[in-house]
Amino acid sequence: MTVQRDVVVRQLVEMQVQADEEGLIPGFNVLVNMLPVAFWNTFTQRMMDAVPADRREKLEAELVNCALECGYNTGYGIITSEEFKSVVMPMVTEGAKDVLRGAYAVFTAWGWAKSGIVQIKEGERMVVRAPDYYEADIASGYKSGFMIRGVSSAFFDLAYGKPYPEGLKTFKCVQTAGVEVGDPFGEFVVTR
Amino acid sequence: MALKMEFTFDDKTYRRYMNGFLTVMHCHHYMSLLSKLAIDFDDIGGVRILCESVEDSVRPMIDDYCAKNNLASFADKLDVGRQYYSAMGMGVMKISGDPGQGEVTLTRSHVDQGWTKKWGNYNAPVNHWTRGYIAAMFAAAAGKPPRSYEVAETASMVMGKPTSVFTVKSK
Repeated sequence: MTVQRDVVVRQLVEMQVQADEEGLIPGFNVLVNMLPVAFWNTFTQRMMDAVPADRREKLEAELVNCALECGYNTGYGIITSEEFKSVVMPMVTEGAKDVLRGAYAVFTAWGWAKSGIVQIKEGERMVVRAPDYYEADIASGYKSGFMIRGVSSAFFDLAYGKPYPEGLKTFKCVQTAGVEVGDPFGEFVVTR
Repeated sequence: MALKMEFTFDDKTYRRYMNGFLTVMHCHHYMSLLSKLAIDFDDIGGVRILCESVEDSVRPMIDDYCAKNNLASFADKLDVGRQYYSAMGMGVMKISGDPGQGEVTLTRSHVDQGWTKKWGNYNAPVNHWTRGYIAAMFAAAAGKPPRSYEVAETASMVMGKPTSVFTVKSK
């Protein structure tokens, strides 16, 4: 048996995440928030619209970096959490590769993207495809999957970089296709 | 009255909804980094864009809830905003005021506690996300258009204060 994304997603979704009496959502060793997608996408699009051409690359890198650090720290919290141990680990039979599959199942359950790994060369390269992801809602005309890019390289850092927290930025991710630019799916390629 | 919350998950797209509005879960790292990005890019309007993006995305949720539940008074609508803030995991608000002016105190804050957890204290207020939220909340309660309120953070947890305080004035 290997990690079955749809089974994991359903089990995680049933664990309803709700704020405590202090209006906070502690979980996976982080503070979680549950905000409208419209906020994240509106902020990204308006920032991209406002930035002058000579600083566009810098802004894109910073948007990716936000997700990279988020994915690295939260990803570590996820794969070491009791929830992950109880739901995902019983299905893990292929080591790091399966842990990665489990991490993408959590990624999907959190509402980031309906995504999955379609190709993996351990420690070298990974291809992720997502037929649906919230950043695709940005009517940008350019590839705008900044969050998925950052989180994808972060997850690969966790699986194949130096042990946490030394492995950050071992890998990088580029977006090679996007629903927002007319492709049937978003595609994200992670390499060293 | 306690806010009625309905969480749903679309089995086809795998998207999550809160009371019918598409939502996504993120962590304090992402919120802290996005807040800092807005500050770092303030020369192109980063902080203003952050505040306005919150105001424009949260307002429909408050308006929709109040309409569907026949809530019409300023106080009832403000209370919907207060409860939504906590339901989103953003902290705890204490609110006073009227359509002309007001004050909001945070006794718990995702933005401030998350920032402090990540980087420690800072030399200026950073909770621009909540400034935008308060502007949306007051405008929704008063039935005014967006950008009707000026919101200033006058005390800040990231600067070492026990609570964060925001003053609200109608423009």
